[in-house]
Amino acid sequence: MGFVARLIGKARRSSPWLLHFDCGSCNGCDIEILACLTPVYDLERFGVVNVGNPKHADILLVTGTVNQRNRQVLAVLFEQMAKPGVVVAIGACALSGGVFREAPNVLGGVDRVIPVDVYVPGCPARPEAIIDGVLLALEKFREKE
Amino acid sequence: MEVMLTAGLSLATLPVAILLGGLLSGIDRRLTARLQSRQGPPLSQPFFDVLKLLAKERVVTNPWQAFAPVTALGSAALALVLFAAQGDLLVILFVHLVGGVFLVLGALASGSPYSQIAGQRELWQMFCCETLLFLIAGGLYLSTGSFRVSGATGLPAPLLFRLPLLFAAFVFALTVKMRKSPFDLAGCQHAHQELVRGVYTEYVGPHLGLLEIAHWLEVVLYLAVGSLFWATGWGMVLLPLAAFLAVIVLDNIAARLTWRWMLGRGWGVAFVLAAVNLFWLKG
Amino acid sequence: MSDAIPLVLIIVPFFASLLCLLSRSTVCRSFIVIATAAMLAVSSLLLQGPLAPDAGLQWAGLIDPLIIGGDFLLLAIMFVLGCRYRHLLIVLLTLCQLGLLSFLEFFVFVEEQGHALWQVDGLSLTLVRVVCIVGGFICLHAIPYMQAHENHLLPARSRQPRFFAVLLLFLGAMNGLALTNDLAHFYFFFELTTLCSFLLIGHDRSEEATANALTALWMNGAGGLLLLLAVWGLFRQSAQLDMNGLVAAVAGNQAALLPLTLLMAAAFSKSAQLPWQRWLLGAMVAPAPVSALLHSSTMVKAGVYLALRFAPAFAGTLPARGLILAGGFTFVAAAALAISQRNAKKVLAYSTISNLGLIFACAGIGSPAALAAAVLLIIFHAVSKGLLFLCIGTAEQQVKSRDVEVLRGLCARMPLTGMVAVLAALTLVVPPFGMLLGKWLVFEAAADHFLFYLLLVLGSSLTLLFWVRLAGTLLASGELAGFRPEKQPFLSRFPLVALAGGAVLLALTAPLLHNRLLAPLSAQFAAGGSGVLSTAAGSFPLALLFAVAGCAGLLAMIGVSRAMAGRKGAAYLAGANAGLPGHFVGPMNRPVRAVAENSYLVPLFGEERWNLWVNLAAGGLLLFMLGGALWK
Repeated sequence: MGFVARLIGKARRSSPWLLHFDCGSCNGCDIEILACLTPVYDLERFGVVNVGNPKHADILLVTGTVNQRNRQVLAVLFEQMAKPGVVVAIGACALSGGVFREAPNVLGGVDRVIPVDVYVPGCPARPEAIIDGVLLALEKFREKE
Repeated sequence: MEVMLTAGLSLATLPVAILLGGLLSGIDRRLTARLQSRQGPPLSQPFFDVLKLLAKERVVTNPWQAFAPVTALGSAALALVLFAAQGDLLVILFVHLVGGVFLVLGALASGSPYSQIAGQRELWQMFCCETLLFLIAGGLYLSTGSFRVSGATGLPAPLLFRLPLLFAAFVFALTVKMRKSPFDLAGCQHAHQELVRGVYTEYVGPHLGLLEIAHWLEVVLYLAVGSLFWATGWGMVLLPLAAFLAVIVLDNIAARLTWRWMLGRGWGVAFVLAAVNLFWLKG
Repeated sequence: MSDAIPLVLIIVPFFASLLCLLSRSTVCRSFIVIATAAMLAVSSLLLQGPLAPDAGLQWAGLIDPLIIGGDFLLLAIMFVLGCRYRHLLIVLLTLCQLGLLSFLEFFVFVEEQGHALWQVDGLSLTLVRVVCIVGGFICLHAIPYMQAHENHLLPARSRQPRFFAVLLLFLGAMNGLALTNDLAHFYFFFELTTLCSFLLIGHDRSEEATANALTALWMNGAGGLLLLLAVWGLFRQSAQLDMNGLVAAVAGNQAALLPLTLLMAAAFSKSAQLPWQRWLLGAMVAPAPVSALLHSSTMVKAGVYLALRFAPAFAGTLPARGLILAGGFTFVAAAALAISQRNAKKVLAYSTISNLGLIFACAGIGSPAALAAAVLLIIFHAVSKGLLFLCIGTAEQQVKSRDVEVLRGLCARMPLTGMVAVLAALTLVVPPFGMLLGKWLVFEAAADHFLFYLLLVLGSSLTLLFWVRLAGTLLASGELAGFRPEKQPFLSRFPLVALAGGAVLLALTAPLLHNRLLAPLSAQFAAGGSGVLSTAAGSFPLALLFAVAGCAGLLAMIGVSRAMAGRKGAAYLAGANAGLPGHFVGPMNRPVRAVAENSYLVPLFGEERWNLWVNLAAGGLLLFMLGGALWK
């Protein structure tokens, strides 16, 4: 691998910009994600920035169940991310639909609609687990090269 | 021969300015984090961000989004080179405006409502900066008899003592240009969700990366203009640095305001101050 | 040979105009218009100054009575028009002019000495070439435009012969106005352009058109009366009508200040400066070629031409300072009012008024750099603004509206017209194009005039704002499509493309232009041969700017082509994109168009709010000029 390619790989792993999409979560996982950005955990140490725009995001964090109403939005957001990008599903609902998986309007986990790279379990997922998931997602960039 | 040397030296300022701009952005993020009792990213973070952006996929909704970043970068770079060559400040300001014009055109062309609204606001921000900087150029002329940057260097006393109110206006313009609170209306660093990322919303990957570099260069250009107020010795570095730090502190203690406030109280006051200062020089 | 060219430039359009009036066939008329335009363009390029002082004097005995007869004929026509439309003001103004003119011609001017007939210097050459070349292109564009216009309006009998006759007559009148050296002749051509303007504004014969044409007639008639008074006053001071001689003779003469100020007031009405702006705004009802030719490129330039002509006699006096302020005020106020406009033609009209204000201010400053700036502004403004009017007119015929919001995204529907309009708008505000070069010179010249400098900074910032907004709105298609020019007649497309190319090329050759036209005007003002314009206080590296702009443009185009080869995305609409461009999924799963209109800030910059105050302030400044002339 050439110097430039290695540098770019390093840059990708050092500058993960997040897009957080709440598919219909109870806000438990969402609060924990935001907690990661607070002074206690300070994810920005790793260059993480919470962007509100799929076009600028490298990592898509999804919480909550996917249902008929929001599957389209989720698919569009994923499609609007510039490559390379990875998807992290956070919390029991995003993984499988959680306690709502039997509900008639619920499709199940995020991976029913878009490909998921990292699964972070928990109800809600703990901030440490989320940070772990994000760092794992960064390693996925290496695989995608 | 001398011309070649000047040209070479002026061109050499470009890489230096890019490094400096990125570093300043890193300092900004680090300092902001500290003011929020966080640790913050390493100083090299902005460089990694830009490198990552440059290596990402190109996606456009409209060809102008590919056109604008190159012109924005070109205009900022040319303005800086002209400044380093101690050219005419008016020409430098005209050239630097081109970048803003194309940035807004690309944003408006995208058809995204967020970019549309932010584009309108960006135009007013450009209006604020442009008027004040041209008044600073006027102040430079009235105190040195020339619009050339070279006129400010080699003065016995710093211009700050003759242009104190213009310096206050300059700090206002710098705040607007750096997209800092309370005037981060049209596209700021961090995710203020109301307009997503404002004029930058539709610029993706490498295009955003180029615009980021162009913005670094613009901030460096502004600080260079600020250095004209104290163009002798260490003051040349310390004064713009102080202005820069003041803006970052202001960013962290101020809430974002509306554009009406920016135009009415912010710009209105700054313009009057600048005009009064010019009037002193005249009288 | 060169001696006869001025006469050719005036007489040929007059004859062509007659032919147009007589010929009922479209082909024949088109041929006449094309041939006249080509001939005028070539002759104007062949014309070189300075002419020998006695050039054309052998015809003076023939021309003088003709022009005096013409004067009375014109005033008679205006009188009849005033009676027919029962417009008391026009009748009164015409009667005053008739009385004064008879008195002057039969009792005052009789003792006048002979003098050079023509005046061919940088200033008049500039105006003549703008009239002949830009005007020629606009006339070409008018041929298919008027055809489509009549297909839309369907008048009982084609009025195109009359339209083109007046258009060509106007070209001749403008050439005469620019070339003559006799102030009385100048008055005749001045009035002739007024009449042409009236006929062309009222061309559609709608109620609104007629009313606005009458407004234009009385306002310009008032200007004519002021001009006549000024001519009388100047003649009393130095007993000559020789414009060149007059400028030299009355310079520094305190008693001549009042007539000179009246002259400026007349120029103000012709150039629609505040508070006379109402007629130009009303004139926008006319077909697009009229707006392009009379109301942006040429006729309104007659006023600034007059002001620039007499600027050397005027510079440094109290009324001149008033002129700087009045021009600067118009520059800012018209630009601010333009911000609130949704009507594209009114935006263009206000910006024209605003730019002319800037030129008047230059005339008031009167320094070599300022006069050079004024001439450059005249040239570049004529090309770019004429072009913009043609683009908006072409678009208007397609989309049937001049509302900026309806024109939004024009570049997707009419790629060529839209892109040319965007280019034209950019040439008005972005370096290295010519307008910015002119503006830079104004800045350099204005730095010693503190108040004007403030106005200049404000005005040029506001100008940038509304031009970029307009260009961005035209671009705002939000769709990605290859550049496929729309179908349009050759005569519509050719002027657009040629003028757009001209706007770029002219800017490239600006230093050359400057040296050729203005060298005598500004001896102390060194224009470098190396593509750098320099003044005492600064320098404009035009060649460097063009080189960098060219490289950046090329790189940007490479970027564009690479981006076009890549993935295309839709705009971000919070993920709710509905498949259709610019639509999101709304209630009942229906697509809803995401609309974000421009902020026109009507409560802040609206006409209703400001018209009265702006007019009062501008009127006050005019009175200040007059008072300054009396008091000294």
